[in-house]
Amino acid sequence: MYHTNSKREFSIKFQPQMQILRPSIHSRRANIIVKFQDLYGFAVEGNVDDVNILNEVREKVRQQGRVWWALEASKGANWYLLPQVSSLAEGIALKSSLKLSTLANAITLKRLIRKGIPPVLRPKVWFSLSGAAKKKSTVPESYYNDMTKAVEGKVTAATKQIDHDLPRTFPGHPWLDTQEGHAALRRVLVAYSFRDSDVGYCQGLNYVAALLLLVMKTEEDAFWMLAVLLENVLANDCYTNNLSGCHVEQRVFQDLLVKKCPRIAVHLEELEFDVSLVATEWFLCLFSKSLPSEVESPLFRTHFLSVAPTLSPSIMILMFSLTTNKFSIVPLLSRQLCGCGMSFSMRGQRFCFM
Amino acid sequence: MGAYRTDDDYDYLFKLVLIGDSGVGKSNLLSRFTRNEFSLESKSTIGVEFATRSIHVDDKVVKAQIWDTAGQERYRAITSAYYRGAVGALLVYDVTRHVTFENVERWLKELRDHTDSNIVIMLVGNKADLRHLRAVTTEDATAFAERENTFFMETSALESLNVENAFTEVLTQIYRVVSRKALEVGDDPAALPKGQTIAVGKDDVSAVKKVGCCSA
Repeated sequence: MYHTNSKREFSIKFQPQMQILRPSIHSRRANIIVKFQDLYGFAVEGNVDDVNILNEVREKVRQQGRVWWALEASKGANWYLLPQVSSLAEGIALKSSLKLSTLANAITLKRLIRKGIPPVLRPKVWFSLSGAAKKKSTVPESYYNDMTKAVEGKVTAATKQIDHDLPRTFPGHPWLDTQEGHAALRRVLVAYSFRDSDVGYCQGLNYVAALLLLVMKTEEDAFWMLAVLLENVLANDCYTNNLSGCHVEQRVFQDLLVKKCPRIAVHLEELEFDVSLVATEWFLCLFSKSLPSEVESPLFRTHFLSVAPTLSPSIMILMFSLTTNKFSIVPLLSRQLCGCGMSFSMRGQRFCFM
Repeated sequence: MGAYRTDDDYDYLFKLVLIGDSGVGKSNLLSRFTRNEFSLESKSTIGVEFATRSIHVDDKVVKAQIWDTAGQERYRAITSAYYRGAVGALLVYDVTRHVTFENVERWLKELRDHTDSNIVIMLVGNKADLRHLRAVTTEDATAFAERENTFFMETSALESLNVENAFTEVLTQIYRVVSRKALEVGDDPAALPKGQTIAVGKDDVSAVKKVGCCSA
C-alpha cells in the first residue's frame, strides 16, 4: 500500500531541477540565528529561512484545521472516530460497514490525516486511530494506575537507567524538565518497562515517551500510545536487547536509498560512510530529537496511523526533500553529520552538511 | 559554513572513539575538547555523534575526528561500524560511580575485539571535580592502566581539567606510531634507503606499544 502513497508524496516534493545556489544576500541572511518556541514548548534555533518554512508549515496546519472544523460541522462531531470509518481508513474492511457513505468518509479521513491533524485534535485522533484505544479497552479501566502503584519503589536495571536519563531528556523544556515532568515521564517509562520486560527500557524511548506526553496531555494516554507503538506499529524488537528490529529497519532503509536516491547512495558509498550510524537515532527516537515538532509530528502521524508499514518510507521522503532542497530542513536534520565534514555534491550543487 | 572548509587543511586525520558506560560524561568531554563547551543540561546520546578538531603536533596539523555513542549495553550491537578505522580510544568511567569503573574491563575487551592492535587507548576517569563523591581511587585506576598497558588520566569536563591533555596525548601518541610506521614502510624507497629504516625500526615501535597500548 505504501508504495503508492510514498510515490505521491515524493512527486509533490521532488523536483527534477535543482534549485540554484542561494545568492549571497541569502547566505548572509541565513547566518542570522533566530530562537523561538515551537508548538510543544521546545526551543528552536534556526536561520531566517528555517523560520519561514516552519511558519509556512504552521499556516498549512491552520488551514487544515479549518477543513476539519468544516467537516465536523457537516458530518457531526467525532465522525472520524466511528469504528467503521476509522477501521476502513486503517485499511481494515468490516463487511457489515461497507456502506457507500462510510467508504466515502474513510477516504476523506485518510486524505485529511495525510495533510495534517490540527494540534487540538491530535490526542483524540492519534489515540483512536493508532489502536491505542482498542488496546486499552482490552484490560480493566484501572490497569495503568494499578501498574504504576505496583511498581512504585522497585529498583531494576531499567529504572536505574531511566533515572539517569530523566534530566537528560529534553533538558530546559518548560514542563518536561521540572519535577512534575520528570515524575510523569518516569511513571510512563517504568510502567512500560514492567509491562514488557524484553524491552525493559531502551535509551531513546525517553524522547519518544516525552513527546507523547506533550502531545497526548495525559500520562495514561501516552503510556498506551507507547504500548501500541512498540507492540503493533514499529518493527518487532526495535528496542529489545540487541535492537534487532532496528537493524532490519536500517537494511530496508539502505535498500530504499539505493533504489530511490541512487546518487546519495553512491556518494555515501564513495565516502565509505555507513548511513546506519546516523540513522540509528532517527529510527529509535522517531525524529523526536532531531526535528522541530512542526516537521516531526507529521512523520509520527503517518507512522502511527498505519499509513506506512515501516519507518523507512518516511525517512526516504525526508532524504528526497533534502536532495531537492525543497524543504530546507538540512541544517536541522544533519547536525550530527556536520562534525564529519560531509558534503554532498549533486548536479553541480554542493550541499554542505552544516 | 566556513568552519569546516578551513578545517579541511590537515596532514593527518585520526579517528578517535569515546566509549564507556551511560552518563560518564563522554559527550561533555567531546564538547569541551572540540568547542570548549560544557553543558549541565546535556541530552543522552542515541546512535552516534561526531565532532572534529585540529591540533598541531610537531609541525604537522593533526585533525581528530571524534565519535561519540550511546553507553547503554544494547547499543553495543551496532558498534562494528563505530569502531571501524579507529586509531585511538578514550575509555571513560565516572570516578563517582564505581560500577562504571568495573565495566571498563568489558569495554576494553570490546575495543580490542573490534579494533587494530595498534590502537592507542587512554583510560579516562571523568568528573574528578566531584572530590567529595569520589568512589574510585586514582591508585586503583593507575594500577589497572599499567596492567592493561593503557594511558591514564583523570579529567573534569566541567572544570576543563586535563581534557585537552587527554585528547592531545592520545593524538600525539598516534602521530608518533604513524610517523614511525611511515618511515618504516618507506613510501619512496629511493628517498628512504633500507639501511635508514633500521634506526627507527621495529623495536622502537614496540617500545611505543608497550607504553601506548596492548601488543597483538
